[in-house]
Amino acid sequence: MPSLRDIRTRITSVKSTRQITKAMKMVAAAKLRRAQDAVLKTRPYAILLDKALGRVAARAAAEESATLHPLLAARQARLAEVVVITSDRGLAGGFNSNIIRRVQRFITESGDTWERIELSTIGRKAKDFLRARKLAVRKDWVGVHQGLTYAKAEGIAQELVKRYLAGEVDSVFLCYNEFKSAIAQVQVVVQLLPIQPPAVEAEAAIDFIYEPSREALLAELLPRHVAMQVWRALLESAASEHGARMSAMESATKNAEEMIAALTLQYNRARQAYVTKELMEIVGGAEALK
Amino acid sequence: MALTLDIVTPERRVLSVTCDEVRAPGVLGGFGIRRGHTSFMSALEPGRLSYLEAGQEHAFAVGGGFLQVADDKVMVLADTAEAAADIDLDRAQRALADAREKLKKLTVDDRTHAEEEARVRRAVARIAVAAK
Repeated sequence: MPSLRDIRTRITSVKSTRQITKAMKMVAAAKLRRAQDAVLKTRPYAILLDKALGRVAARAAAEESATLHPLLAARQARLAEVVVITSDRGLAGGFNSNIIRRVQRFITESGDTWERIELSTIGRKAKDFLRARKLAVRKDWVGVHQGLTYAKAEGIAQELVKRYLAGEVDSVFLCYNEFKSAIAQVQVVVQLLPIQPPAVEAEAAIDFIYEPSREALLAELLPRHVAMQVWRALLESAASEHGARMSAMESATKNAEEMIAALTLQYNRARQAYVTKELMEIVGGAEALK
Repeated sequence: MALTLDIVTPERRVLSVTCDEVRAPGVLGGFGIRRGHTSFMSALEPGRLSYLEAGQEHAFAVGGGFLQVADDKVMVLADTAEAAADIDLDRAQRALADAREKLKKLTVDDRTHAEEEARVRRAVARIAVAAK
């Protein structure tokens, strides 16, 4: 039976924990709004780029399928690279461990397709988790999430494209949390390279004049498409992270409240017992004096 | 008011207006667009993109990208876009000096050479737009 003071100390400690989790929840909620906003703001560009790319790529593919742009042409499956995107910070429920599990599933499922699968990471947690599981990490991009800009996504995309064009890797995948809602994130593995051109719509019938040429435009469009994919993955992951943290902190706050209630009850019972015992002693002492 | 002009970047929609004329820095040289222009798509150089509205010219510095015209709708997919008034001339000049400095130490074969060269061109474009 813990003493009264022990219980009181525990209640105070749980209360301060609750205060922290509550604050973290609020912060995550505010950040989530901003992250969602950032995702939405990329839409106009993404849609236009997809349309343009779909149109240019479809025409190019129809006319000269033999000389496809190297970023579009599938190669023999030898070396694949999976870029794993997690957060830098923890305390976000299953956000990070779900991604690692998804990566491991990907490795078991498609291990036969590829001779070798390399892993690289964005976000400190991915690196830590993979190291702990004794999996080699080819490259770790540090500090991407802090002050995330399109330029950073572009830099990562450029490096991946360079490696791909140099033949150092035959396919690149992105593994990240896709944002569904504040309480739901889906772990996806998306093929980044070779590029699978977006489907074209009927609108493609318009005959455009291309300057300098369709091939040159395609060569300009494709790397931007890759950068856009990376950019979107990073933003989705950020939104998911804040969503996951928000619900994790929400339930942590609720648990703390339950605990405080249980402890308070225990405290009151113990105090009551103590008071009763005191009274009994006093009454007993008075009786003895008679 | 015949043309609609939209400038979007990967980070946000920068502009959405109607105007009379658009002037853009194409890779094959600058060009202008007015009403009834044929369907057309061009890659853009880093440079000055502007539009005319009621005789007033509004300028932007774009950092490369694409321009597409169809049905009197002009869509600019720019890597970066800044209104002339928003450009920090000091910062642009520092960025230019910095990029030039780095470029000097690199040879054409270096992996980052193209990147730094692009930075120089973007900085030059921004300074040119801001200085007007």
